[in-house]
Amino acid sequence: MSRKILIIDDEEAIREVTQVTLETFAGWIITTASSGREGIARAAQSPPDAILLDVMMPDMDGPSTFKELCRNPATRNIPVLFLTAKVQAADVEAFRNLGAKAVIAKPFDPMSLAHDVSKALGWEFKEVQQVSGRE
Amino acid sequence: MLRILMGGFSDDLGEGLKRRLDDVCVELLSDGNELRGALARDEVSLLLLDHQWLGGKAMSLLEEIRSQPWRRELPVFYYLGQGADGSLTRKLVGELGVREVLLPPLDIHELARKTSEALGSPLTPAKEDADLKIQSAIADVRNRFMDAILERVGVLERAGVGFLEGNWSPDLREKAEREAHKLAGLLGTLGFSAGSRFAAEIEKLLRGGAHLSETQALRFSELVVALRLDIEKTPVAAPAEVPISEKRSSLLIVDRDADLAERLEAEAGRRGFKVQTVADVATARKSASKSSPDVVLLDLHFSGQEREGWALLEELSRRTPAIPTMVLTSRGEFTDRVEVARRGGRGFISKFSSPSQIIEAVTKLVDRLRAADARIMAVDDDPQVLALLRALLDPRHVSLLTLDDPLQFWERFEAYAPHLLLLDVEMPHLSGVELCHVVRNDARWAEVPILFLTRHNDPETIHRVFSAGADDFVAKPIVGPELLTRIFNRLERVRLQRSISEIDPLTGALNRRKSSQVLTDFIDLAKRHSQPFCLAIVDVEHLRKINDERGHAAGDRVLETISRKFQNAFRSEDILARWNSDEFVVGMYGMSRYDGIERLRELLDSIHEKPFEAPCGSEFRVTLNAGIAQYLEDGVTLDELHKAAEKALASARASGGGRIMAAGTETGNSRRSNRVDVTLVMRDEAQSSLLLHTLESRGYRTRWLRDGKMASRLLAGSRPALHSSVVVLDVDLPGLDGLAVLKKLAWDKVLNETRVIMLTAPSVANEAQAALELGAFDYVAKPFNPPVVVQHIRRAFEAS
Repeated sequence: MSRKILIIDDEEAIREVTQVTLETFAGWIITTASSGREGIARAAQSPPDAILLDVMMPDMDGPSTFKELCRNPATRNIPVLFLTAKVQAADVEAFRNLGAKAVIAKPFDPMSLAHDVSKALGWEFKEVQQVSGRE
Repeated sequence: MLRILMGGFSDDLGEGLKRRLDDVCVELLSDGNELRGALARDEVSLLLLDHQWLGGKAMSLLEEIRSQPWRRELPVFYYLGQGADGSLTRKLVGELGVREVLLPPLDIHELARKTSEALGSPLTPAKEDADLKIQSAIADVRNRFMDAILERVGVLERAGVGFLEGNWSPDLREKAEREAHKLAGLLGTLGFSAGSRFAAEIEKLLRGGAHLSETQALRFSELVVALRLDIEKTPVAAPAEVPISEKRSSLLIVDRDADLAERLEAEAGRRGFKVQTVADVATARKSASKSSPDVVLLDLHFSGQEREGWALLEELSRRTPAIPTMVLTSRGEFTDRVEVARRGGRGFISKFSSPSQIIEAVTKLVDRLRAADARIMAVDDDPQVLALLRALLDPRHVSLLTLDDPLQFWERFEAYAPHLLLLDVEMPHLSGVELCHVVRNDARWAEVPILFLTRHNDPETIHRVFSAGADDFVAKPIVGPELLTRIFNRLERVRLQRSISEIDPLTGALNRRKSSQVLTDFIDLAKRHSQPFCLAIVDVEHLRKINDERGHAAGDRVLETISRKFQNAFRSEDILARWNSDEFVVGMYGMSRYDGIERLRELLDSIHEKPFEAPCGSEFRVTLNAGIAQYLEDGVTLDELHKAAEKALASARASGGGRIMAAGTETGNSRRSNRVDVTLVMRDEAQSSLLLHTLESRGYRTRWLRDGKMASRLLAGSRPALHSSVVVLDVDLPGLDGLAVLKKLAWDKVLNETRVIMLTAPSVANEAQAALELGAFDYVAKPFNPPVVVQHIRRAFEAS
């Protein structure tokens, strides 16, 4: 059974790259959302195994989205990884205190993202040998 | 299982390698002891070192590893980081046998590819497919989002103009900060790592909402220009990014190593060269005459054709116009370097450099030849334009003076004396058209090309510009390649004209005025890059007598011949000038005086050996003397070096017979002095005199001692009577044998300041070993060849 990941980022280009790299390298099933609101709805509708959440988004930013997710029992326990270009130690610390599972720095290397995400989540990373296609 | 050791890299990089390669294990080392232990434990397939590892100790660790003969073959990759310089690279590749010198940015794909090549271990196919798939997906995203990205850059550009003009709203600033943040996070993922850094710096400038100072505003604009350039340099869709108007340089690759040739060709193609590859010298010769390439890259050490390779190099440099040739070699040896220079090669690079380093070197050579020593001055009140010009011209070795205030124009212009002037049409206070009039009204500057940059390309402006004396105009917004083409075309023309006024008509050498400027430039370059530079003066003995007795035509022919021989033998970093009627000044960049002496010796010998024919038919010979001085050792300015060389020349002239004398060695008579360069201790008179002659003709002060007892008495003791930098000591001596003399020298601690080269008998195998153990610097087996001994002596001097 493949793992499911939800990506919440307002940047379409990032969503696309993240999706294709995680599908190709890890074989995970990816869904995407372009705003915090949409992400919360999708997560509640079909809870993923983990969420990659952009920090800086218009309207509802990453931390607010995260708080909202924690309020709903259906989504409270989903591990969340923040994606951010702010990687000052203080920022990372603040996100961690908020309850983030990990912080992944932007820009990320598409070639190692799947590996970094698995490592952060403590999942055993098994690279797909058979390259899975994008449906 | 292949084993890779890494010193100084992150575990991400190690992981990346492991994932991309089949059946490898990667060990990350934390210090030198761990490295030693890991090497001792089991066989190692590859060692990766970061120059910065352990606070910069990587190189000494590598030296330690290489000092163990059984570790000489261990493949090593060395990451040099920022600030790599040629001498370091040469040392790594030439002396320390580094397989790949890695430069930033360190790209995991490239590293994995190189590693797989070095280890003969294929990249994991599924992963490779996945890599390719991701890369093409990223390229696809990049193309589709390019317009959106450029639109964001546009916001930053508008903000930049606002900041410079002091005319911006908090709203615009906030928007710019947001866009910069987004770009910083996005661009790196899409492969624009430099762009990403620029955007991050822009964001940092804006953070906090404080007021931007003038310097910060300028920095902001520079960063935005750099950002746009980084994004636009990548081909967006098709690779057809090189506009037809720009002249592409043609490159001929001569290499039998098909694999390397193919990689070089691909790299050169990517950089916009028109490439042709041939595998043998005969085809290369044909192809070079047919298509006259702008530059040739010649792999010299392909098996079996070495001699033809050298011959081809020589031919190419003798053609008119000469075809500049960059030589690839698998040996980092010094003698090769001299040989390449002697045959007219313009550059020299190790085969083990990466294709991108090799083509980079070729590109630099071409740029240097195109730009020569061009100076451009640009006057524009728009700092964005000036920043853009700087970004365009800096990488092309053109020096650029920018000026945004036209009121300071004249003073700066005269001081800088540019070869080309770029003017903006509309500027406050003084328009470009007015400046152009002023320049054209001064007879001294009537020839300098003037290009206008203008936003108005209506017929009236164009008419105004041309009637003021402009040569060309380029419409704004500036399109990089178009502007460069026009600039370089103009400079080409200027160079042709310049050559008429700066060259001595008889010999084709540079005249005094021009050469002083060029020589000073090279001295500055030597200072900046910590390279050696030497200056020599060569004079023709009794030129006046030749003129008087055989007619001026005979004297002229002598000068012409010398000049031709010198120029044929020269590289682009050599300068030949004629300062006085019978004197040539020679500048040699990148060469120490020992190298210089060696090259001059050959040239002088070639002129000495062949008689000249006077117009009346009689034959005569000429003798040349030379004095040579080295930058830093003998002076730091052109004037000081010239004086030192002149003094050395006077002393060479006094000893007569076609000597070359190095500055600083000319004082005193070596027969009486207690300080000499080389002492030869040897019984055989004929051999000794041959070797002494070879040394003396190169300016070494020598002393000859024929028996061991005498040598020991003069050279040894707590206060030796004779100080000699190098002693060439024959093993077989009357009185006291060579090894005994050596032992005495070692005992008296003379070897601290004297280097001994032992001449050993070929039949006694352990003699050389014994000499080295006693502290000899080097040995040469008999029967010896004088030039070989000279090489060893030179090495001894260089090591001291």
